[in-house]
Amino acid sequence: MIWKHRPLAGCLAFVCLCASAAGQAASLTPEEIAGAALTDGLSIPLPGEFMAALNKIGKLDWSTKFRPPIATNFSSRPQTALNVGGLIADGYIAIEAEDAQQVKNIGKDVIALAKVLGVSKDVVERASSIASFAEESQWDQLKEELEATQNEVKTAMTEAKDQDLVTLITVGGWLRGVEVVSGHVAANYTELGAKLLRQPGIVSFLNKNLEALPEKVREDSSVKIARKKMSEIERFIAFPLEKSPSIEDVKQLHKLASDAVKEISKKQK
Amino acid sequence: MKRLLLSLACAALATAAVCAAPTDNEVAARRTALEVAGAFGNDGFKLRDGNWTGLLEVGKPKVIQVNLYAGNQYWFTLGSVPAAKKVAVTIYDEAGKAVEIDPYEEGSVAAAGFSPATSGSFYIKVEEVEGAPAAFCLVYSYK
Repeated sequence: MIWKHRPLAGCLAFVCLCASAAGQAASLTPEEIAGAALTDGLSIPLPGEFMAALNKIGKLDWSTKFRPPIATNFSSRPQTALNVGGLIADGYIAIEAEDAQQVKNIGKDVIALAKVLGVSKDVVERASSIASFAEESQWDQLKEELEATQNEVKTAMTEAKDQDLVTLITVGGWLRGVEVVSGHVAANYTELGAKLLRQPGIVSFLNKNLEALPEKVREDSSVKIARKKMSEIERFIAFPLEKSPSIEDVKQLHKLASDAVKEISKKQK
Repeated sequence: MKRLLLSLACAALATAAVCAAPTDNEVAARRTALEVAGAFGNDGFKLRDGNWTGLLEVGKPKVIQVNLYAGNQYWFTLGSVPAAKKVAVTIYDEAGKAVEIDPYEEGSVAAAGFSPATSGSFYIKVEEVEGAPAAFCLVYSYK
């Protein structure tokens, strides 16, 4: 099978040059749009994709986006899950900054939180590869390892019938990504950069998932904060296609995401 | 009582759907998709560690919503099993209009390359054009 596709790499460029499908296909019906699948594993982009797009707009110093270390001993599982997501986003930032020590520190914190969630076994095995990739400055492999770590935590949560926590890991990571990207766009405003913040499908999907959480989880104080901020964030993220958000809107969005991330990482009394 | 039994049956079905392990055909479809998507890695594309699997039948396409970022380049790769003689991938904007793609189609494998000019929601349609019902797996790469 591998042999069958070996010539593919060379052929693809040629095929792509010769054949460009100019959208002759019929449009989707409203029913097809309404019935489209949405999955955590494919529909929600990774922080790395968001950051890759931001890198195209201009050179940026990712090390300025680090935040101080957060607690790793939260008393509630929902809050722990939200912070696992945030830390994984921090991992992507550290990789973009090519800071090996920061990657290793974040890796340790992810494991500490994963232990609280009871999914440490698989993740601990990933940790040693994260550390060695970091030491050898293998940044591309590190991105893959980090993504695999996130998926392993989520798979373990799903297998343990903790699907609710999967939603919270995704929300935590997404909020931290929005905080960083909106902060950068606010400080270096361009219409092009501001348009990157448009993610209407994601925010409505995540908000629906948050509202579908069991009442006990929804009432956790960190989840309450996330739900409140996410519903406020929706109007700044779901702007019309032809419009660029103003610098004021971007600043407002950054403040909402930043407050959410800070509150979520604060230990509950 | 009837309602209770019905609810329990629905719950059991839902649980089975969520927890169901991938079938051998889905695993084979995924392997095919990954082999093809691996070729894009030579061009610096990073393969996302996630996939969407299911069963395709002629005349019954499936659609998934994704969020893409302007400035990034994407390849969506569909793998199936030999029972599917011809498959296709089409990308639509958030209004449901087909967008221009770089297509690749070879039997039970198809891929679509796309660079969005705007960030936001897009729809990916996967379909079987010819063949018997077959498992499919969709993956994507970006740079």
